[in-house]
Amino acid sequence: MQSISGSITGSHPVPEERPRLRLLSSIDGGLILSALLLAAIGLATVHSASSEMLVDYFPRQAGWVAIGLVLLVISMSIDYHVLLDFSVVLYGLGIASLIAVLAFGVVHGGAANWLKIGAFQFQPSEFAKIATGLFLARYLAGLNLRVLEFRQILTAIVIVAVPMVLVAVEPDMGGAAMYAPLLVGMLLVAGIRVRLLVTALLLGIVLVSGVWTFGLKGYQRQRVLTFLAPETDPLGAGYQVRQSKIAVGSGELMGKGYMQGTQSQLRFLPARHTDFILSVLAEEWGFLGVVTVLGLFALYISSAARIAIRARDRAGIILVVGLISITCFHVLYNSSMVVGFVPITGIPLPFLSYGGSFTMINFISLGIILGVDIRRYVNR
Amino acid sequence: MRVVREHRDDLVSRVRVLTAVVTGVLVVIATGFWFTQLVQGDYYRELAENNRLRKLPIKAPRGLIFDRKGRLLVENVPSYSLMIDRSRATSLDHSLWYAAGVLGRPVAELQQILHQYRGVPVFKPVLLAENLSLSEVARFGVEGFEYPEFEVEVQHQRLYRHREQTAHILGYLGEPSLDEIAKGNGAYQPGDMIGKKGIEQTYDAQLRGRDGERVVVVDSRGELLEEYKSIPAVPGKNLTLSIDLDLQQEAARWLDGPEKVGAVVAMDPRNGELLALVSAPAFNPNLFARRLQQSDWQALIDDPNHPLQNRAIQNTYSPGSTFKIVMETAGLTEKIFDTHTTVGCSGSKAFYGRPFRCWKKGGHGTVDAHSAIKLSCDIYFYTLGQKMGIEKIARYSRLFGLGSATGIDIQGEKRGNVPDPEWSQKVRKQPWYPGETISVSIGQGPVLVTPLQMAELTAIVANGGHKVVPHLIKDARLPPPEHVAFDEDALRTVRGGLVGVVNEPGGTAYGSARLPGIEIAGKSGTVQVIAQAQRTEEHNLPFKYRDHAWFTSFAPADNPELVVTVFAEHGGGGSRVAAPIAQALYAKYFGIDNGKSPSP
Repeated sequence: MQSISGSITGSHPVPEERPRLRLLSSIDGGLILSALLLAAIGLATVHSASSEMLVDYFPRQAGWVAIGLVLLVISMSIDYHVLLDFSVVLYGLGIASLIAVLAFGVVHGGAANWLKIGAFQFQPSEFAKIATGLFLARYLAGLNLRVLEFRQILTAIVIVAVPMVLVAVEPDMGGAAMYAPLLVGMLLVAGIRVRLLVTALLLGIVLVSGVWTFGLKGYQRQRVLTFLAPETDPLGAGYQVRQSKIAVGSGELMGKGYMQGTQSQLRFLPARHTDFILSVLAEEWGFLGVVTVLGLFALYISSAARIAIRARDRAGIILVVGLISITCFHVLYNSSMVVGFVPITGIPLPFLSYGGSFTMINFISLGIILGVDIRRYVNR
Repeated sequence: MRVVREHRDDLVSRVRVLTAVVTGVLVVIATGFWFTQLVQGDYYRELAENNRLRKLPIKAPRGLIFDRKGRLLVENVPSYSLMIDRSRATSLDHSLWYAAGVLGRPVAELQQILHQYRGVPVFKPVLLAENLSLSEVARFGVEGFEYPEFEVEVQHQRLYRHREQTAHILGYLGEPSLDEIAKGNGAYQPGDMIGKKGIEQTYDAQLRGRDGERVVVVDSRGELLEEYKSIPAVPGKNLTLSIDLDLQQEAARWLDGPEKVGAVVAMDPRNGELLALVSAPAFNPNLFARRLQQSDWQALIDDPNHPLQNRAIQNTYSPGSTFKIVMETAGLTEKIFDTHTTVGCSGSKAFYGRPFRCWKKGGHGTVDAHSAIKLSCDIYFYTLGQKMGIEKIARYSRLFGLGSATGIDIQGEKRGNVPDPEWSQKVRKQPWYPGETISVSIGQGPVLVTPLQMAELTAIVANGGHKVVPHLIKDARLPPPEHVAFDEDALRTVRGGLVGVVNEPGGTAYGSARLPGIEIAGKSGTVQVIAQAQRTEEHNLPFKYRDHAWFTSFAPADNPELVVTVFAEHGGGGSRVAAPIAQALYAKYFGIDNGKSPSP
């Protein structure tokens, strides 16, 4: 590239242009391409999924994607070190907004996880997640050790636990669960002893059983139970799992065709433009469609991993790992849920599911990762 | 270097491991999709089809039934049932409270009905109430938007226009038994209504037609979106019976009322077409058209006169003196007596050391073949019977169709009994006593016939030996009747005697069956229910001890068109009770006003 530009501009290269060219040419093609393709597929599927609803969510989602692209450019252009420097402030703001939600939140579907500012509603838990990721990356990057000490791990847990608990009491179990992969992913990369990991796992089991007994509401427990035996109560709580599996299975290899899915078009599928967007896709595009989407996610994740590996410093690696951990968890959990492997909970599919806050956060996350990448050569 | 100080290699290898793990999980998930979509795809495709397609049965209208003159006997009337889809109710209690209000029934009662359907999947509509009035139907229709769980289903119900009067011929419908469903090879579903008795049963296959099916696309709320496919119903075929409603009703009227128990059969002796077939008491078949109430059923079962039994074919009785028709035909054909053979009757005669009495105390004097029938002289037939022997009596009885089913096209026919020594050994395990032959000679003892067999026997005499098969369908295609080679002179003599019974002074039914303008031939019979010694004046006897009355006949005597057989259980004397009923039927049939109507 340099030699080509050199030959065009002759023997007098323009020194001012060089950093900019280098900046754009160093954007990871796989990452941005997979994200844009996923968003495009998402838009088409949202249109199909909402065709039998009162409103077509396609224009709104297109708007969110457009805003997301702007946010992508902004978050990419800010140096991640600056973001890390401000992460304390962002983290504080995130905690404050979560508390505000608890105080003045708008209830949607049993959980008060929306904050209304004017005509604008958003989910602070999504933003708090990024802020927490940044803050934790800053903390772990500063610990220049091969393996973390117990006290440091505990500090990391506390950093994550504060927003996590605030989200959990909304109550939004799905949202709260999202903090776990953030913590685990970053700790694993930053360095943690196997012995400790096993201990944490055992502790987790105790915690889960405690939450099951005391923390879950009846309907949440029912959801888990129905997941275990969905056929027993086809029109009760098992309805959603069953309808999703019927949608997915009946898509077979080639699918029923765009806008032709009977399960979604005849409204058998619940939350089909959000949590069950992949069921709609699986029904209308078949196994080929699913493999395409999962392949694009694999490309997205591996591209992000490559970016982490070639990042300039420890902070960059940990930050990218934290952000991509969240995306990974969303993808793995949502697709497992759609095919009936795990209980249903409100975890949408990145870039595909309809949702303002969620779409924006995905593009911001992508922007930060790209920001880390384009600065891999820059000396600070 | 800075990188080394940051333990970069460790971080990188950990990222690689994590990426590999995530990729592995992605592959596992993709495998899950592969399994669900490609291995189980067919299964889920079917479930998706079941989800979106709803099969709505189109019931084939059942064929109508007419009498021989095209008058409607059974029709289909719409009946409205209230169904509830429990899965669509937001609050079942509220739904039931609403339905109870409209129907004017207690909520608890409806709750109890729903309780019975606990085992049925909730999304399957279940029956909550039947026979809704039109205003109730309208209310569920208008307020259906608020209560989408309710659905009014239109069903066709059988309406038997003449109720009890045609009950035993037409029969009724009912839900098929498990056995019938198994035998039907998919023709019947539980919940269908199939013919259970009578014409409805015999001709069920023609009457029922074939149900159609409408497959529609519905959404998750069960809302009908479009038709997917439709198989029209094939309506059932209409049937025309040989029954003449006028005669049927006339006969039914004569047997209507308390202590009116019996049967009337009117048949065309030329082809076996039945013009009337009445059994009393009868039941109201319209009770069976809806689901039969337990109390109604119990009442039918408990009635000592068994209204569900078709006495014309299902009950057997001693033929009494009507059996003398068989005796004389046999005796003359076998040349045991000729038409001029005379027997002296002094009112009593000893056989095998035991005196046998004639019904007429003083005796009939000298009796020949003609007067024996006309006067119904017992001594003549005792003498004939003794000479002929039980074997020949039995053989001729069978030639007349006794002891076997006539082949009428409704089910449940009894065969009756023709006794002989072989039967005695096999069934009674005792030898035949010669004295029994004497009793059988006048139609008493173990000889048993159904009223229909009696009509058949009479028809054979009337038509010159043709064993027509009695049937209820008009223009039935039947093989030509079997011809029994009775002696023509014998039959002519018997017919002459039967004409004498009705038309000659001294004939046993001279006063009770004669009709001006039409020559009726007939024979009365009285069957004793209790021994002579215990008898008092008849109207003082309790009903169940009174004699049974027979009268079997045909007319016009020279060219018979109609056979009428009347049996009145505990009716008293045959000529007094049974003959006027036959007379009334002939009057109706030939259009002669004899000024008589059924006694109340």
